[in-house]
Amino acid sequence: MTTSKTNPREPHAQPYYITDPTPLPSHIPSVPEIGATSAPLLSASYFIGARCAPYNEDFMLCRSQSRTGETDCLKEGRRVTRCAISVLEDINKNCQAEFRKHWGCLDNENHDLSRCRLDEAPLNACVAKFLNLTKVIPNSDGTPINDYETPSFFQNKVRAKYEQ
Amino acid sequence: MVTSQDLPPKGGYDAIQWKRNLPSRGFRPSIYLGIMGAISVFGFWRLSIAMRVAREEKREKTWARIHILPALQAEADRDTVRRYYATLEREKAIMKDHPDWVDGKPVYHDGSLHSPTFVILEDTKSAR
Repeated sequence: MTTSKTNPREPHAQPYYITDPTPLPSHIPSVPEIGATSAPLLSASYFIGARCAPYNEDFMLCRSQSRTGETDCLKEGRRVTRCAISVLEDINKNCQAEFRKHWGCLDNENHDLSRCRLDEAPLNACVAKFLNLTKVIPNSDGTPINDYETPSFFQNKVRAKYEQ
Repeated sequence: MVTSQDLPPKGGYDAIQWKRNLPSRGFRPSIYLGIMGAISVFGFWRLSIAMRVAREEKREKTWARIHILPALQAEADRDTVRRYYATLEREKAIMKDHPDWVDGKPVYHDGSLHSPTFVILEDTKSAR
């Protein structure tokens, strides 16, 4: 380990020392990574779940059935990634404005879905119209929580009124 | 000699006013108790709704996480496998002169894929 002469207190756990730049071996097919940050992923999660449920379940089943699931389930993992990318691409193609508004709200509102209902409703409608994917929370009875008029929903309504 | 005794007046003394002469304000205590109970019932009713909503919102967040978990896990697995093969190649190169050495033999015998205890890395800083 080389130490800096100018700064004797240089931290030694620096990212460029613990980075392993070796790429995947050539016998494993490559796949583009999703590359989305947490807010877009959270915003699109129910649509990813709606379209990719078979691939997701296949991957997780494969993963749980094998002790070395990391190496054995690479094929299923590539399918999962490709499916998630396809959902994100389709949303960006058809509902970009609504999508950006919603995940921008999630970014600002501490990833609290309940505080972004006003931006969520247009996104859900748009995705249902163009992608034919609906947000369904499993095992919920009665009104879905994203249509429920919670106190924070009213707060958002009031805030949206004054922001106009 | 006239003897006389100090006696009460005829008809007796007036009654002593021992009770304070304050007007009674407000309602009967039972009514206040009833109002308090009604407010509490209303509050607990609202609380039950709020708790149900909070539970449902937490469940919603959990399911959102479940939906994106396989994609995140697949990405993390590819990184693990990439590091695993890189470590294996490095081990092969280091131990090529030792015929008894078994490349990539795990330390644990549980059949799982373990992260290496020690990772030998190139000095990527000076390589740049």
